[in-house]
Amino acid sequence: MTRPAPTRRILACAATVVSAGLLLTACGGHDTNSSASGATAKNAGGKTATVTISITDKDCAPSPAKVPAGAVKFKVSNKNSAKVTEAELQDHGKMLGEKENLTPGLSGDFTLNLDKGTYSVYCPGADTDRTAFSVTGATTKTWKDDPQLVAATQQYGTWIDGEVKQLVTTTDAFTAAVKAGNIDEAKSLYGKARIHYERIEPTAEIWGDLDARIDGRADDAATPADFTGFHRLEQALWQKKSLAGTAKLADQLDADVKTLNSQVPSVEYQPAVIANGATDLINEIQSSKITGEEERYSHIDLLDFDGNLAGANEAVSVLMPTLKQKDAALATEIDQRYQAVLTALKSYAAKPGYEGTGYVDYRKVTDAQRRTLAQTVDAYAESVSKIAGKIA
Amino acid sequence: MTDTPDITPAPDEAGPERAAVSRRRLLGAVGAGAAVAGAALGAGGAVLAHHDSGSSGADAAGSGPQTVAFRGVHQAGIATPSQDRLCFATFDVGPGATAADLRELLKTWTAAAEAMTLGNPVPGNPGDLYTPPEDTGEAAGLQPGNLTITIGYGPTLFDRRFGLAGRRPSGLVKLPHLPKDNLDPANSDGDLCVQACADDPQVAFHAVRNLRRLAFGTLVPRWMELGFGRTSSTTPQQATPRNLMGFKDGTRNIDGTDAALMGAHVWIGDEEPQRWARGGSYLVSRKIRMLMEQWDRDRLGDQQDVFGRFKSTGAPLTGKAEFDTPDFHAKSGGQYVIPADAHIRLAAHENNNGLRILRRGYSYTDGIDPETGDLMGGLFFIAFMKSPQQFITLQTALGQHDALNEYIQHIGSGLFAVPPGLAAGQDWGTQLFG
Repeated sequence: MTRPAPTRRILACAATVVSAGLLLTACGGHDTNSSASGATAKNAGGKTATVTISITDKDCAPSPAKVPAGAVKFKVSNKNSAKVTEAELQDHGKMLGEKENLTPGLSGDFTLNLDKGTYSVYCPGADTDRTAFSVTGATTKTWKDDPQLVAATQQYGTWIDGEVKQLVTTTDAFTAAVKAGNIDEAKSLYGKARIHYERIEPTAEIWGDLDARIDGRADDAATPADFTGFHRLEQALWQKKSLAGTAKLADQLDADVKTLNSQVPSVEYQPAVIANGATDLINEIQSSKITGEEERYSHIDLLDFDGNLAGANEAVSVLMPTLKQKDAALATEIDQRYQAVLTALKSYAAKPGYEGTGYVDYRKVTDAQRRTLAQTVDAYAESVSKIAGKIA
Repeated sequence: MTDTPDITPAPDEAGPERAAVSRRRLLGAVGAGAAVAGAALGAGGAVLAHHDSGSSGADAAGSGPQTVAFRGVHQAGIATPSQDRLCFATFDVGPGATAADLRELLKTWTAAAEAMTLGNPVPGNPGDLYTPPEDTGEAAGLQPGNLTITIGYGPTLFDRRFGLAGRRPSGLVKLPHLPKDNLDPANSDGDLCVQACADDPQVAFHAVRNLRRLAFGTLVPRWMELGFGRTSSTTPQQATPRNLMGFKDGTRNIDGTDAALMGAHVWIGDEEPQRWARGGSYLVSRKIRMLMEQWDRDRLGDQQDVFGRFKSTGAPLTGKAEFDTPDFHAKSGGQYVIPADAHIRLAAHENNNGLRILRRGYSYTDGIDPETGDLMGGLFFIAFMKSPQQFITLQTALGQHDALNEYIQHIGSGLFAVPPGLAAGQDWGTQLFG
């Protein structure tokens, strides 16, 4: 869960991005006059095709229904349908891009770089919920023609799937302790589940509602009842020191991570998205771990830090073989800066550590020490943010 | 800048050559030779060549492209006319960074600084959707604003870390404790400093922000100050501005266009054994908090006695017009007209064996004091001199006797050796490491 003001934007971006595949900056595309859209055209070596999708109770037919291969901007609007509020572009059942939560009167857009092929526009709830959409022209060479990158995305997907499975198991154990009313045991199991979520956060954030329920903070919640998930239980364990009335919350968290587990295998990872997900994870360290914001009741922030860093490193690692070929100097710089972060973090390692996390209580880390940590993280993020442009 | 005719092309229109040059290529080019750098910078090359050989001078405001030559005998931002705004930052070399890293960064900084002073963005590949833009963008479409970027090196840079001990300029030793110093380490010192001055605060800030960004992994920022209004004039054509006490306190500053005075007081000369530092200068920064609430309650007569000038005209208490020479001997009723502890008497070269420094300070504010609710702000004092001893001598006298001390406090300090200007094709890394 990303933090306050930027939260919604970043979540929206993550959704667009992972699904949009190539276009991380697609978030900027809401402003039709922005330079981002101009740059899209330049980047694709042609002009961006615009496709209009009007959501109705009846359907979500794209107009035009056929465009040439390249960058395609989908402008989705909902004039007056109460029952249909989203439209997705799918490639044989896999979601590539979407605009959701479009209640009557709202509109939005997403941009994708599409190859020749047959796709469909899907809008759950409509009488006709799927309409064909085709892309014509020459198939351009993409990362999919590079076996090394294809292997990288598969490797990353497998790793994510494995992490989410472990998240389910460890969350099960944690929530069982919560429901048994065993505070000490629950405290020791909390971090063991958390770390798996922190490793896969950019993927989990694709489902904004799920992420908010699992990882939302007290101040993200519209009403007290909306504050659920890990941090609600964290508050009960460390601040309120009582698990009274938390059984339902535990069940919901359990169910939510299981839903996540069932959704995650459907995600199609693209190299640039994996790279930018790594940047997102490192930014997460800077914005919510160094600050002590995320684990404000338990203060196990260094464990989350470890999780974000491991997630970023996995993403970087799968892309490394390609990056080394494209820009060996950047690859070396990234490796050095990763080691610097790791060294800085490991200086706070402890056995068994605070609450069994393997690290010290984050409250013991002074402001000056936090600043030193932050500086290594900043440098790492800066170089990782350059990967996507090299491998795409 | 809004009333100035839009003569300089906006960065996006600066020319196709620039857009085609990748950062890496450009950075290589600067090391390789001036001709390449000139070509790489496209439209700016002409400006470069024009100012290359002479002493740096600014185009008169409003009549030219509002750029100040980046290269020359001396660095810009010292003798050149004082711009309206300042962004000043210091940095420390981060743990793990090597001499090679620093040298490479200084080369990168040279290319970026030169581009920005021409009103161009940090070189890169704009429009690549997969990559964060090299330039952060907030100066796009703004005038260059006579941006100058001046670099300086602190005493700590010449310790054993980077093999620079043998190149330390002889005067570059941390300033001693001076009378009434109340310095905060968080606002003092640094391995390097960057002074960015421009007529637009956003242009000055943009310069420091982008240099900082390029420095990730090599430097860590130490402190930064934004100056919102100049308090000095470095040429007679500029009116003397007022400081936050409402006084003109820069009337008797050195004229930056007076080569003889600059040579005598500001530029490091042949007396310096480190040849690479000759043509440079020493920069002293002092963050001087003014106790504005107390000052504002002082009666006018006393305020004028504290400075030794009339508040309204800026004239010395012995004169009628701002530039009248003060008469430090004049007495009235047995008392000096300009009191013995008046600021201008203690600071005057007549009373300091001819000692002079070039002041180039700015007013700053840090908002509200969380403890008292009082204004936090004052003078971000910057001065250039050929030896730090000039400042030490002056401040020792002022710190002990200046009537102004009741209303000010020195809370930050820095001393930096400012290298000479870059010749065509030269970069800061090569200049520093030799």
